[in-house]
Amino acid sequence: MAESFPTLTQCALVAAAFKVLLFPAYKSTDFEVHRNWLAITNSLPLSEWYYEKTSEWTLDYPPFFAYFEWLLAHVARLVDPAMVRVYNLGYDSWETVYFQRFSVIITELLLVYALQMFIDSSPLQSKRAAQVAALSVVLSPGLLIIDHIHFQYNGFMYGILVASLVLARCKSTLLQSGLIFGALLCFKHIYLYLAPAYFVFLLRAYCLSARSIFQIKFLNCVKLGLGLAGIFGAAFGPFALMEQIPQLLSRLFPFSRGLCHAYWAPNVWALYSLADRVLIHFAPKLGLPLKTEALNSVTRGLVGDTAFAVLPEITPRICFALTLFFQVLPLIKLFKRPTWENFIGAVTLCGYASFLFGWHVHEKAILLVIIPFSLIALRDRRHLSAFRPLIVAGHVSLFPLIFTPAEFPIKTIYTVFWLVLFLMSLDRMAPASNKPRVFLLDRFSTLYIAVSIPLIAYASLFHQIIFGNRLEFLPLMFTSSYTAIGVVGSWVGYMVVYYTC
Amino acid sequence: MPAPSPAPHKPRRKANKAENDGDKPRKFDALVRTPAFPLAAFMWPARTSLSQWEVLPLVLMVVGLFRWAAGLWGYSGFQRPPLFGDYEAQRHWMEITANLPISQWYFHDLEWWGLDYPPLTAYHSWALGKIGSLINPEWFALMSSRGSHDPMLKIFMRATVIASEYLIFVPAATVFVRRFSRLNGVNTWTSNLALVAILMQPSLILIDHVHFQYNTVMLGFVVASMSSMLAERYKWAAVFFVAALGFKQMALYYAFSVFSYLLGRCITTGINPSRLFGIALVTLISFGVLVLPLALGVLYDKHRGIEARPELNGATAPLPIFPFIVNYIDPQNFYYPIVEQLVQMVHRVFPFSRGLFEDKVANFWCALNTVIKLRNFPVELLQKAALGATLLSIIPPNLILFLRPRKSALPVAFAATAWGFFLFSWQVHEKSVLLPLMPMTLLLAGKQGMSGEVRAWVGFANLLGAWTMFPLLHRVDLRVPYAALTLLWAYLLGLPPTSWSAPFQEGQSGVVQWGTALLQSTFYVIMAAWHVVEAFVVPPPGKPDLWVVANVGVGAAGFSICYLWCLWRLLRETEFLPSAPKTKSKTQ
Repeated sequence: MAESFPTLTQCALVAAAFKVLLFPAYKSTDFEVHRNWLAITNSLPLSEWYYEKTSEWTLDYPPFFAYFEWLLAHVARLVDPAMVRVYNLGYDSWETVYFQRFSVIITELLLVYALQMFIDSSPLQSKRAAQVAALSVVLSPGLLIIDHIHFQYNGFMYGILVASLVLARCKSTLLQSGLIFGALLCFKHIYLYLAPAYFVFLLRAYCLSARSIFQIKFLNCVKLGLGLAGIFGAAFGPFALMEQIPQLLSRLFPFSRGLCHAYWAPNVWALYSLADRVLIHFAPKLGLPLKTEALNSVTRGLVGDTAFAVLPEITPRICFALTLFFQVLPLIKLFKRPTWENFIGAVTLCGYASFLFGWHVHEKAILLVIIPFSLIALRDRRHLSAFRPLIVAGHVSLFPLIFTPAEFPIKTIYTVFWLVLFLMSLDRMAPASNKPRVFLLDRFSTLYIAVSIPLIAYASLFHQIIFGNRLEFLPLMFTSSYTAIGVVGSWVGYMVVYYTC
Repeated sequence: MPAPSPAPHKPRRKANKAENDGDKPRKFDALVRTPAFPLAAFMWPARTSLSQWEVLPLVLMVVGLFRWAAGLWGYSGFQRPPLFGDYEAQRHWMEITANLPISQWYFHDLEWWGLDYPPLTAYHSWALGKIGSLINPEWFALMSSRGSHDPMLKIFMRATVIASEYLIFVPAATVFVRRFSRLNGVNTWTSNLALVAILMQPSLILIDHVHFQYNTVMLGFVVASMSSMLAERYKWAAVFFVAALGFKQMALYYAFSVFSYLLGRCITTGINPSRLFGIALVTLISFGVLVLPLALGVLYDKHRGIEARPELNGATAPLPIFPFIVNYIDPQNFYYPIVEQLVQMVHRVFPFSRGLFEDKVANFWCALNTVIKLRNFPVELLQKAALGATLLSIIPPNLILFLRPRKSALPVAFAATAWGFFLFSWQVHEKSVLLPLMPMTLLLAGKQGMSGEVRAWVGFANLLGAWTMFPLLHRVDLRVPYAALTLLWAYLLGLPPTSWSAPFQEGQSGVVQWGTALLQSTFYVIMAAWHVVEAFVVPPPGKPDLWVVANVGVGAAGFSICYLWCLWRLLRETEFLPSAPKTKSKTQ
């Protein structure tokens, strides 16, 4: 079969040229965070990595990521030695910028490779659809905004995730899939949110016999167990030997943060906050008690320490319980029928649950849902109609990350371009479903997408013109509620699809 | 499997467009199975069913994104006191036009980037200056804003370049490409490829959107003029060309071709005096309209008692050029200020007093200067030599165009004339290479434009053109956008250094193919080697400009070849020479 065009490599090359042009663009404090990690890993012995606190941006990623920075630092030192000095806070010579930005572009090649694996592993009749889906991930505005403007290294880690998901497709590579995911957890612990799906899938498909759940495949269990032990040993072993594990964990899991992140990630709690705000006005009529200290809080809705005036407070325990509950629901089905499609669906739903109900969720985490979902969005039109509001809401919700005027056209026009291109081509690619579509859901999603245009215009332009600097929370709240409705809606829609197909 | 498989579901929209021109792409499919170069691969999915209205917005968004991203880099004169650069010049013009009475525009403090472009630029600056002052009055405050490096101002200025381009150049190019490709029987899909290639031209983005200027406005008017010629709307062609001249005098590079073509259309294709008269009249009226605001403004200022040159305290200064005018017109006449104003404008716009070439530019004179020191010759002789050489180089293409004014020959004749001007005329700037490059790049939309030969030559000229501007860009630390945009364009069009196959994709004879490939490859290898040397080897003491001079020499040689190729192509296009033997070619 002839290759279809454009290929992933071609797109990645052109995108790389664009990303190189973005070198001088705005970069968030994450840039300094990563520079600091280069410095820490390069100039300090292993034993001090997780204790060093000259900079406020301490090392709070798991050891593999630290090793990765350690490797990068060897090159970085040659490019500009001043970059890897711990006390050189806020250092951003052009060499530093070029090097760090370039390293993001280069490491992202892993994602391209993994997606090519995905295309190659797809059956013949859905290869073109797989290619479109893969292109949508390579060109993702989410990765562009987060990695190449805001600055982070998500590209290659999602590459590892995709590689692991693809390897799970074939019985013979299940072990590798599991081990690679284990390694991914040692790069960035946010992927723990997806771990339940992996656990159930590997347990059912790899460790237990296909015929009966009471036949345990002991050899497989041993292989997986030893492999994972080896990987975690390599990551955490050195720190365990130095008895630094408690310190390390305290860096990885800072429980002191608030329910909502600096902005409102578009999840259930954003809608909860919105409901709270609305209820403030109706509380006296309804006879509900108001908590005055919450009312007087000036920073309401803007910063992390959200306090609710009417509705009950949310504790981490509630978040955790809700997340777990909504993760377990899809896992039951996965356990019963451990197919690859169900597995990807379960991973997606685990991502959804943690994003929607998690404690201190950052809007960047939406990629945890979008990227796995991309791999199955083109199964049929029903999947697609759940996917569409998600990509609109998910990417629009990333806009507040980039607030500088120079980058405003980039984030908006690129996202609009991507949405137009892929909404159009996904629509052409998705085969019809053998089950009837849910009419209302479908129309809802079209209407939803249409609303995004005036909303973006208002939030980014008209609000400033009408109100100046007053009521700053208003566009944020609108964006947040709008995108939260989209994400929740697509989640509900996909749950229905997942259980009925 | 290039075409999408017939979808099992019912399409939501009926593809009624596909039935109309469904024939052509299908024939195309049968002939070409895989895209010959990456740009074709990117547009591959658009071959079937997609209408122009779905492709065009996406294309415009992408080229806009590249422009804006390139604009994040520094501009000419960034943090380079005392005079800064082109950016400050443009900003300063907005400052003076927005703040000063119109009669002072061409007289105000000429030492600090005095206005030296024709009136349309001044009006454009005025409009932008007024809009900018609404947003932030400090950006264009008189005197105090000089050398401003406010980052918000930069964003505003970048946005104005893009807005001006999208209002003028982009629509003009879109319409031109559509008309020209239809004229040559090129299908819509291929013409879309050409449009993307034209809009992604690296030198254009680098000069306008990175280094900073508004060339696309002038070029856009010229394209609009050519496009009107294709549509046989000759009066509109004249209007647009006057607008181009009125924006930037550099459009004179094309003036001979416009003149020859329009005259040819009135004489050699059947004598048509009423058309000739109509064109002449419209041209005069357009010039009148162009200077009208200036003239009326001057009279109004005079009426209000505002002097064009307040520093003279009411005394009259002699005219800078054409002093004999005073013998015919009494300075006390009510319209004398207008005459004075126009003379000053002409004096500012055509600086005859400047040297033969400015700085180092890849034209004939500068290249010759490395062998013979031209400084030792009297200026008059040099002026005459430049005039003679220019005329010698532009007469052949324009004579051909006059004798056989064919639509299909338009871009190549424009290109040949502009190359002649660029190579031999007086006072050339390295950025002027944009002028011959623009019509030459438009050839991509012509017959077999995207297939081997034309693509190879247009690509060669563009890459060489960008390369000769490297020293200019290097001075303001723009190496990275230079590399990114140039390599990207070369990659998209399948040109060296990414692919060496372009000259071999057409049914020419093997000798011509190999000759082309060898000649161009020599230049590409030299260009690459030059970059290596420039980056790593320090020039010998006493010759700090050695690399730049080498660049100029190679550039001039390459551009001369481009000139000859355009001339040859023009001869073939107008059938003075037999056109290429029709052998089996891959694309029709």
